[in-house]
Amino acid sequence: MRLAIKLAFRNLIGAGLRTWLNVIVLSFSYVVIIWMNGVMIGWEEQAKHDMTNWQIGGGQYWHQSYDPYDPFTITDSHAPIPKEFENEVARADMEPILIVQGTIYPEGRMQSIAIKGINPNQNIFSQPTHKLDTVIDGAIPAVIGAMMAKNMNIKKGDYVTVRWRDSNGTFDATDVFIVDIFASNVPAIEQGQIYIALDKLQEISLLQDHVTMLTFKDSEIERSQVEGWTLKTRDILTKSVDDLIKTKSTGLSIFYFILILLAMLAIFDTMVLSIFRRQKEIGTYIALGYTRKEVVGLFTVEGAMYSILAALVGAAYGLPFLGWQAKVGWTMPIDVSELGMAIAQTLYPVYSIGLVMSTILIVVLTTTVVSYWPSRKIAKMNPTEALRGKIQ
Amino acid sequence: MGKGEFTALKGIDLAFGKGEFAGLIGPSGSGKTTLLNIVGSLDVPSDGEALVLGNSIGKLNAKQAAKLRKENLGFIFQSYNLLQVHTVYENVEFPLLLLNLSTSERKKMVTDALEWVGLTDKVKSKPPQLSGGECQRVAIARAMVKRPSLVLADEPTANLDAANSHNILKTMETLNRELNTTFLFATHDEKVINYLHRKIFLLDGMVDKDEIVKSN
Repeated sequence: MRLAIKLAFRNLIGAGLRTWLNVIVLSFSYVVIIWMNGVMIGWEEQAKHDMTNWQIGGGQYWHQSYDPYDPFTITDSHAPIPKEFENEVARADMEPILIVQGTIYPEGRMQSIAIKGINPNQNIFSQPTHKLDTVIDGAIPAVIGAMMAKNMNIKKGDYVTVRWRDSNGTFDATDVFIVDIFASNVPAIEQGQIYIALDKLQEISLLQDHVTMLTFKDSEIERSQVEGWTLKTRDILTKSVDDLIKTKSTGLSIFYFILILLAMLAIFDTMVLSIFRRQKEIGTYIALGYTRKEVVGLFTVEGAMYSILAALVGAAYGLPFLGWQAKVGWTMPIDVSELGMAIAQTLYPVYSIGLVMSTILIVVLTTTVVSYWPSRKIAKMNPTEALRGKIQ
Repeated sequence: MGKGEFTALKGIDLAFGKGEFAGLIGPSGSGKTTLLNIVGSLDVPSDGEALVLGNSIGKLNAKQAAKLRKENLGFIFQSYNLLQVHTVYENVEFPLLLLNLSTSERKKMVTDALEWVGLTDKVKSKPPQLSGGECQRVAIARAMVKRPSLVLADEPTANLDAANSHNILKTMETLNRELNTTFLFATHDEKVINYLHRKIFLLDGMVDKDEIVKSN
């Protein structure tokens, strides 16, 4: 094997430009695959990090009727905080949120929204809820997300009329004053919702002490089911991100397949041509003491070595590039706030040893198979004809 | 090309002793290269038996045949068959790599072989940079470097001019004499024939004449 590697290396280096063209094409595959996978992993980590910070904390208990995808459930999705949670709520390790359906009238237009009541002093979410303590005459202080502000054309300092129905079914309305607009990468906490103080919302909706969900800070604590409430762990709540990334990764794998296919076609073509053009050399190897199987092995190693050289060449220009990308990130050319996904405008690729090693392994194995395939022809060659270069 | 059978050799009964400088002589199609290939274990006889250094060629498997070639046989071809991307040194070193010799052993043996053929100044050259005569001398060095018992040369001067041919043949004759290596040629070149100590004339796959012109 060592001899085959030594000879294969000599043959490849000796082949000059043809070798380096294949190596560069293959190295490009390495770098692109690692970079794109890195972006996907970076996106997943960013999305989960942002969701944790802005939306789900360490996990949540939902009122048993609450279904975020069914607005009709919101009216009945509230209950007093269960006794089991009172201590955690008192320690601010668990934050209650009440959700009430409402309508907003920005510049005379009408838009259905969810009014979220949240504790202004909470420390689980990144929303600037402390601004909800601002005292405003004749209006309720509210904060909204930047995506919502952009869509509704609402600015900080605007007064907007909000209407809701209290627990008796009576409609009521007031003005809210936008005390702050925050920007996150999580559309689910921005689009179609405003945040006001929890006690204020409980008061105006006549739902004193009632909440829709409770978000806990620590995801590591073992949680049990509580009657009337549904436990949603962090893993359950981030499953949508996992599913999304999985779907995107599947789509990207088609791209990787095409990329590797092109590189493999180049190598396959080189190997076929090589075996045809180097018949005399093959015959000579046999005459000098190689068996035909050993020559097949030599050519296979030679083909596989393209992937090793490509890994080295790819490392030479790929490492600085991948390192630079991890530092400055990749800013997407489109406005991602329109996409409705938990995605940042700039994604920072994250690479792991596993990612690099698995990419190298896949490319090396594929190249080896692609090199072995045409090399099998050597096993059927008549050495005396090969020596004369007469095989067609 | 039809699928009918063609008998290349018929009724051949020859024996070669150690240190012979013999040649199979005949026109194209006389069977000399086929016989050489059988002796070199690159081909097997469909009938009869070919014994080379105690090995029955027809009964050797691929590994045993490769071992015989690797350890005991040297080949010289009409078109040199050098490894084009390797240097002169690497070409001559190749048979020794197959024998798993140490680097220092290989270096000494390659240097010796290149001295025999007068190419010590070309060790770093590659075959495309050499003349035909130089290429054939590299091929001789490669065939001789492991000190084989038997060297098989198929039309070794066919691509060379007269001066180079004589040069090559003198080199081979000297090596035959000094190392007592057996040389078996396949040729129809008069220049080669004049150097042979034993001339075996083949015609239509049969031995027409076998004469020893000079004893070893």
